Amino acid sequence: MSEAASSPERRGTIQSVERAASILKALGRGSARLGVTEISEQLGLAKGTAYGLLRTLEAQGMVEQDADTDKYRLGPAMLQLGNAFLDNHELRGRSLLWADSLASRVGEAVRVGVLNGSTVLVVHHVFRPDNSVQILEVGASIPWHACALGRAMVAYLGEAEVEAMLGAGPFELLTGRTLVDPVELESVLIEVATRGIAVEDQEAIVGEAEIAAPVFDHRGHPVGSIGVVGPVERLHPDGASPSLVTAVKETGRGLSRDMGAGRLAARG
Amino acid sequence: MNHPSPCHGRPGPVRLPVSTASQSPPLRVVNGSYGPYCVRYGRTRSVVLYAGVGLTHGRRGPEGGADVSDVLPLPTPVDAAFIRRWIRDAADEIAANRDYLTQLDAAIGDADHGINMDRGFSAVVTDLTAAEGLGPGALLTRAGSTLVNRVGGAAGPLFGSCFRDAGAELGDGSGAGAEDLLRALHAGLAAIQRLGAAIEGDKTIVDAFVPALAGFEKELRNGGALDASASRAAVAAREGARATIPMEARKGRASYLGQRSVGHQDPGATSTALLFGVLARVAGRSA
Repeated sequence: MSEAASSPERRGTIQSVERAASILKALGRGSARLGVTEISEQLGLAKGTAYGLLRTLEAQGMVEQDADTDKYRLGPAMLQLGNAFLDNHELRGRSLLWADSLASRVGEAVRVGVLNGSTVLVVHHVFRPDNSVQILEVGASIPWHACALGRAMVAYLGEAEVEAMLGAGPFELLTGRTLVDPVELESVLIEVATRGIAVEDQEAIVGEAEIAAPVFDHRGHPVGSIGVVGPVERLHPDGASPSLVTAVKETGRGLSRDMGAGRLAARG
Repeated sequence: MNHPSPCHGRPGPVRLPVSTASQSPPLRVVNGSYGPYCVRYGRTRSVVLYAGVGLTHGRRGPEGGADVSDVLPLPTPVDAAFIRRWIRDAADEIAANRDYLTQLDAAIGDADHGINMDRGFSAVVTDLTAAEGLGPGALLTRAGSTLVNRVGGAAGPLFGSCFRDAGAELGDGSGAGAEDLLRALHAGLAAIQRLGAAIEGDKTIVDAFVPALAGFEKELRNGGALDASASRAAVAAREGARATIPMEARKGRASYLGQRSVGHQDPGATSTALLFGVLARVAGRSA
């Protein structure tokens, strides 16, 4: 499982920074507490090197050492960085009010996503306004092909980008209904671009559906998407609920204008 | 099902001791086609043979009756009464564990699993109480449809399709036994996997269901009866559910949590273990 740490050949990058970053990533997945030996083995580093890097990261508050086990885990500074990322995210900042008002208008949960490689990163999540306990999905990564948020963005990418996305299979089956055939996905994307709205019916989670609209910036580029997610029987009682589609589309258009998109770019 | 009433005197079903039964004069079946049998023996005495005791070496007599010379224990039938008991007791078990299931779900889901399952199974029991004359397969199928229609979240479609397909596979013929139940449960598991695309290790229902059926089958192949097979399945399902604790979820909402899903027992696998636990108790009681 050695990554950047063992391939320092990339031009213009600094090896030790790459190694430090791969330590942080290793602590951010798998078993979250790792000893020096485990880290050096996972990343293919000499033990002394790994130790030096960990000591440095610890001094910066980015990792901390468990007093009982001597193992390392992510430190409090990482939370501040994560929050700073969310706070400084322009789309997220501008989407807060739009998401709130959409959620209260339709009585369902709302999520805002951005494309991160082949997955959608959820940057904002408003709970379904019914006082039930729900888990915060901010930070969740969902494969673009299985969610409406992803399809809403990918449908408006340039031709070459769309082709690259469709060619990057095989696509993961998240439920028995997930579309994974690139040809079918392509026709879905064409439909999304025609209707200005993306839908998904139990393709990410059994029993759940999603309706999402793209959000454009001043260049007319899809910078994100906003959508309603909830029980399939309410969202797709018999095809996507027309009132929800309208509400999501209007929200997408309004948020796009806030992001500086011209009237033409804020299409759909 | 049409329960024949006891012929004479006795207020309800009684078990006929095998020793009594093997005595002459020959027993005579006066009504009933597939358990309970009403058997008349001697001049005035009669008894109803219930599930778990069967007649062998019978000879058909006039008017569809049969002269019976021996009574032997039969394997527990997976009949309508058995399925009804399973579903009813399952509903009680789910209700008793409602808060526990919800608590498990609160850690890695929307904290509604216990509530949804309880609501669904109560609806199933209410619906089935009103529905008379259904065979074992039809009962399961109908319970499945109620779960699909009445339970929100993923649990309704998953458990509902499971029951529906298991019912279709079990059918309503008489004389179904452990082997047929195993086949039906396999059909139920297939429905869950078709819908959810989950495999073992994804931290789902499948992680309790697969070992349960493996345990059931192993015991059955070793000559075990329904009760022993179901009991082995229940133990395996419970262990399977516990084994989801260190897993990282790869399906469902819990997968959005990634690493944070580790350390929590999967609610769906836990419900599955409860259902198999009840199955074992019901099979043990009928044997």
